[in-house]
Amino acid sequence: MLSSLLIFAQVAVPAAEAAAAHGEAATGITKITQDFGISVPNILAQILSFSLVAFLLWKFAFKPVLATLDERQQKIASGLQYAEEMKAKLEAAQQESAVIIKRAQVEATKIVDEARKSAKDFLDRQTQESVAKANDILVKAQQAIELEHRKMLADARTEIARLVVATTQRVLARELSEADRTRYNDAAARELTSV
Amino acid sequence: MAAHAKKAQQFARQLFKMSLADGAVSAERVAGVLAYVGKHRPANPVMVLKAYHRLVAADLARGQAVVEHAGSLNDAALAAIAAAMTGRYGRKVAAVARQNDALLAGLRIRVGDDTYESSVAGQLATLAASV
Repeated sequence: MLSSLLIFAQVAVPAAEAAAAHGEAATGITKITQDFGISVPNILAQILSFSLVAFLLWKFAFKPVLATLDERQQKIASGLQYAEEMKAKLEAAQQESAVIIKRAQVEATKIVDEARKSAKDFLDRQTQESVAKANDILVKAQQAIELEHRKMLADARTEIARLVVATTQRVLARELSEADRTRYNDAAARELTSV
Repeated sequence: MAAHAKKAQQFARQLFKMSLADGAVSAERVAGVLAYVGKHRPANPVMVLKAYHRLVAADLARGQAVVEHAGSLNDAALAAIAAAMTGRYGRKVAAVARQNDALLAGLRIRVGDDTYESSVAGQLATLAASV
């Protein structure tokens, strides 16, 4: 850009000098070209220099910058695509994890229900067994009490009979006279010999 | 040991048979058997003599009626008992009186392993057992 201005300045100075030299002779387009100092060789030279500068800038400045920009654009696009993919994967993973969590919750609920049911069944069974054992113990205790009662009655009856017999024996041993014994012996002898 | 006891028992039975005269144990024959055993000592003489004693005692008990009584017992009753037992067993049974005041009153007769009783003590015992 700076070089273009220098070239324009170099072309403008001779044009002003030429206008001053010719004065009133210039008219129309010629006058305009003269007033603005436009010269075909200068224009061509400027176009050539501008094209050369533009080509150099395009070749060594704009093109690498554009390449860099394109590369960055591609990187950004790929990054955004990757982010989108990651977002999609994240959503899929979240959905999958949600499904897994829901399934796990269902299974956990099922397991807890089964455990509660098992615990309830076990408790009921234990309760029934305990009641049955308690009833069995009660029945056995009642039977033992009954047996003990009968045994006590039998012992008492036996003891009373023994006491009665012993007392009777003592009384008879003291009260029976010799004549009574002789009479009883004769009767016994008759009884035993007659059998 | 069991074989020796069996042989001694068999030998004792043979000696016992030799001791019988008219179906009853004879004192003379027993003396003769004992003299024989003393002269010809068998194997296990103690075992043989114990078995022989048991057989003789059992036979004597079968021929003897032990009459236990409380109070007095006249000879006529004793003779009646001997006659009744002789008739019952079909062999001569002698009656032997034995005092037993525990009977209180009445008789108990033992002939071998048989017992006949008619006593106050026996009736009381029956009463106690039945209660």
